[in-house]
Amino acid sequence: MKEYTLLAAGSAVLALLLDRFLRTAVTCRREYWIALGVMFFFKLPSNGYLTWRPIVIYNPAHFFGVRLWTIPLEDFLYGFGLITFTIVLWEYFLGREGSQ
Amino acid sequence: MNNEYLIVLAAILVFPLILSVVMPLRMYRHPGALLRAIAIVSAVYWVWDVLVTSRGHWSFNPSYVLEYRLLGLPLEEWLFFVVITFVSVFTYEAVRLVIRRKGG
Repeated sequence: MKEYTLLAAGSAVLALLLDRFLRTAVTCRREYWIALGVMFFFKLPSNGYLTWRPIVIYNPAHFFGVRLWTIPLEDFLYGFGLITFTIVLWEYFLGREGSQ
Repeated sequence: MNNEYLIVLAAILVFPLILSVVMPLRMYRHPGALLRAIAIVSAVYWVWDVLVTSRGHWSFNPSYVLEYRLLGLPLEEWLFFVVITFVSVFTYEAVRLVIRRKGG
């Protein structure tokens, strides 16, 4: 199994679990899903440019090999995890400040 | 040009950064929460990135990055996570504001 594929999928699942564990429930909010859509829309040209140029060079030994345009599919799981972790922690710390 | 990665980061950041100042968002009213979210997520992804870059998951084209490297990663790659986490919080807060103004 390819390492980047596993790690990217694992990070996406962990981000969803953290949202449950911290009871932030951002994945139940409309603003989260719209923001995710906006981020993915702008991800296409930026991630696309990085991988087309290429500025970042992916090793075929470590990812599944399927690309959307020039972007490895794993990058979408990776991006999902990165964005979700951030918004979950932002809401978590906001909530802690609010309750003090 | 070897500043291309830096230019991509600047292009990603410029409008969110300006709008985050102009729009009445919650971001700068809670600097502690903002900094903690950015710092923790960046730290986790820095560790991930250093480990897998050394394992050869990906590499950085020397033609398009600056010469400054730390633990095998170009300066731009370190900045990448700070930029993306900031833009993530901004986008989420901006969408939230627009929804509230529409009365949704």
